Amino acid sequence: MTTTAPAPPRQTRMDWARKNLFRSWWSGLITVILVPLIVYLAYLSLRFFFVTGQWDAVRVNLTLFMQGTFPRDEQWRLISQIMIFALAFGIGLGTNSAASQDRAEDAGLDYERGSIAGTLARMWSLVAFISLLLFFASTDDLGNFINPFLVVGGGLVMAAIGYQAHRFPRRIRRVGWLLTATFLVLGFQVVSGFDAGGWLPLSIIFGGAVYGAVPVDRFDSAWLRFALRLVAIAVVVLIVQAVYRAVDSPGIGWDKWSGLHLTLMVSAIAIVLAFPLGLLLALARRSTLPALRMMATVYIEVIRGVPLITLLFMGQFILGFLLPQGTVLSAITRAIAVMTLFSAAYIAEIVRGGLQALDKGQNEAGQALGMAPPPIMRRIILPQALTAVIPAMVGQFISLFKDSSLLSIIAILEFLGVRKIIHAQPDFRSVAFAETLVFVAIGYWAFAFAMSRESQRLERRLRVTR
Amino acid sequence: MTTETQEPQRREVARPPFYRDVRVIRVVGQILAVVAVVGIGFWLTRNLFSNMNRLGISTSFNFLFGPTNTAIPFCDNCWVIPYQFRFDPRSPVWQMVLVGVKNTFLAAFFGIILASVMGLLVGISRLSENWLVARLATVYVEFFRNIPPLVIIIFFGAAVFTAGPFPILSESWEINFPATDNNLLIINNDKWGIPGFTSTGSLVVFWAILIIGVVVAAYVWRRRTKFFEQTGQPHHRVLWFTGVVLASLVLAYFVTGQPFDMSWPVISENRRRIDGGFIVNWGFMSIAGALGLYTASHIGEIIRGSILAVPNGQSEAANAVALSASQRYRYVVLPQATRIALPPTINQYLNLVKNTSLGTAVAYAEITSLTKTSVGNGRPAFQSFIIVMAVYLVFSLTISLVLNLVNRRMQLVSR
Repeated sequence: MTTTAPAPPRQTRMDWARKNLFRSWWSGLITVILVPLIVYLAYLSLRFFFVTGQWDAVRVNLTLFMQGTFPRDEQWRLISQIMIFALAFGIGLGTNSAASQDRAEDAGLDYERGSIAGTLARMWSLVAFISLLLFFASTDDLGNFINPFLVVGGGLVMAAIGYQAHRFPRRIRRVGWLLTATFLVLGFQVVSGFDAGGWLPLSIIFGGAVYGAVPVDRFDSAWLRFALRLVAIAVVVLIVQAVYRAVDSPGIGWDKWSGLHLTLMVSAIAIVLAFPLGLLLALARRSTLPALRMMATVYIEVIRGVPLITLLFMGQFILGFLLPQGTVLSAITRAIAVMTLFSAAYIAEIVRGGLQALDKGQNEAGQALGMAPPPIMRRIILPQALTAVIPAMVGQFISLFKDSSLLSIIAILEFLGVRKIIHAQPDFRSVAFAETLVFVAIGYWAFAFAMSRESQRLERRLRVTR
Repeated sequence: MTTETQEPQRREVARPPFYRDVRVIRVVGQILAVVAVVGIGFWLTRNLFSNMNRLGISTSFNFLFGPTNTAIPFCDNCWVIPYQFRFDPRSPVWQMVLVGVKNTFLAAFFGIILASVMGLLVGISRLSENWLVARLATVYVEFFRNIPPLVIIIFFGAAVFTAGPFPILSESWEINFPATDNNLLIINNDKWGIPGFTSTGSLVVFWAILIIGVVVAAYVWRRRTKFFEQTGQPHHRVLWFTGVVLASLVLAYFVTGQPFDMSWPVISENRRRIDGGFIVNWGFMSIAGALGLYTASHIGEIIRGSILAVPNGQSEAANAVALSASQRYRYVVLPQATRIALPPTINQYLNLVKNTSLGTAVAYAEITSLTKTSVGNGRPAFQSFIIVMAVYLVFSLTISLVLNLVNRRMQLVSR
């Protein structure tokens, strides 16, 4: 006779409440106090959102919040940018998922590809924010020549198309990453313009791709291989340059950007520019050369000891003095420069953390193989250290994204600063301060929350693959 | 006969060409780096001085001794040194700097207290067995840490004070001290008054005696600690410390001839300002409140992580010796969690100090916003901001120095 375990008692709602709300008299007391408080707060906020709030200030000015004073005739550039970024996002997502699948196959594990619905569910805060935008947009004629629903739908379709990159065969996996980077640059330049001076980013991307792709292994001489690679890069750069010179169509420079567009762009530009600088600073701080180490340490500690707003003020008041007479930089350029120099110090500390966390044996293994220090750094240390600090870098990006709100203090009209225009309008001169502010807060919150969730997920996955 | 081959006396070490010799590379690389940095620095400085000379801007720090010529906005208690001398528009610029430093310090100090208390509460609540409490704490954390502090500060200023539930100054709520006519608290949407002190004479001797008292108290603290370590008797050092400080306070008060009077806040007859007492304005409350709540969300997460990082066996051991839940936290879990939490918390405190520079959004007269105003009034920007940077560096370095010392002691205790 086999004894069967008694079936666990079915947990009713009462049981759940007894366990989680009224476990002890103390816990019960807190519950009894908290419930009316929460109900009251919920009542207050619901009344604010649905009854007393004057949301016209947001609804009428939705375009202003999104693109600020960006020339309305050139709005197609922003729409195209959304489409191209959505495509790049989709390609990146697809390639990443395929790369994970490759790794799982190598390890002999099952792999279940995440669905698009799953991705959207993970970023529910962004979905909610965009739905809010669409809700506002649907209740008013905004003077847009393109329906916002079409924009969002188009973006989803582009992302879905890009996601098909996961079907690429494995040996051209890198092409997926290359396409992602290329479309990110193209999406940026569809707004800023394909003028003759804009050749650099694509040259770096294609040059880097070519550097790894040139078939040089059959040559024994290091000099010859180096020369061949150099020639290949030069050819690529010349081609890119020629194309840009042929197209040469100016766009709208960042001096004229504003609104949420500027907020997102400024943080992205600053973090991208700050990364190489921060990497160099981190290496310098870890270097065995005392002079380098000292200079890097002083820079990092001074920047980290001073608030960003002070540096931004210095950028506004002093940067002009530090450059030769006649150099004119726009307020946004100066702000971007300051934010880049600022984040470089923080990125340096993050990277340094990654370098320190790495086992010494990695370095010694490279030396045992007879590798020179630079290849050890480039092929062994950095790939591992940088992968380990990805979550922290996302965290730094979130904090930079939040810090970009400080630009409103130096009279730049980013997402928060746009409120100044709105409350200068006769209709909203001294009303609806709270409504516009709450809307801005929701916007920041949606992006930051989605990113922080994503970074937590990355952190878990990186820990698992260890 | 065998011919002996000539062995070389010394084995020649094949030296690499100089451009691959590590020793050469190290020296040359450093020299190049230093030359590059110094060169850039020199170029910037030369530009700076030539530009300033061209525009006729002074490059000296003499402006510090000229008059400020600006009233500090919302400056009710602009004491430079408490009860010694007061700031007014004719005061020299260096006194304005002192006012700014003092206000930055005040906002940071009270912000840190609020953030620590609130952060501890939130961090523990997130691990509560009560579902509602844990959920509420989670919502709090996810809400506050994903919104820019500047937005929270402006919201505090606008939604709580300028457009909030409180009455205007002339219709302030006055809460009396029980059974008297003295106001314990005056509340309105601009500034709040609480009881304070006024001085009736010089305070130099008073402060001197008090400082000596604190030093003596610190000495007594150490003696009690040693006593505890040698005899194992209870040390009661907090009690001793407080006693000595209180005694020196009383001594100083009577020796210097009772230099303080209680000062109760009153609304002036024209009902436009608050006289007497200690007055805090809405800028201060917005900054300290908003930054406290914002930083609390970060500290809460740190506390939660640290509590989770304390091995489970510690809690189980505490349960095994029948400690109550609160005793378990107080004597077993929290002391160990604090040790883990301290370094990241120091970082949050530093962030809070730096974030007080957002005071300019709510017209709070801290160092950055005062300097911004004074630069707008034609003081030289470069020197002014050098001073501001130095102030923040001193703040940051002091905090990290003090807390790192504390940290080192705590870490040493563990082994």
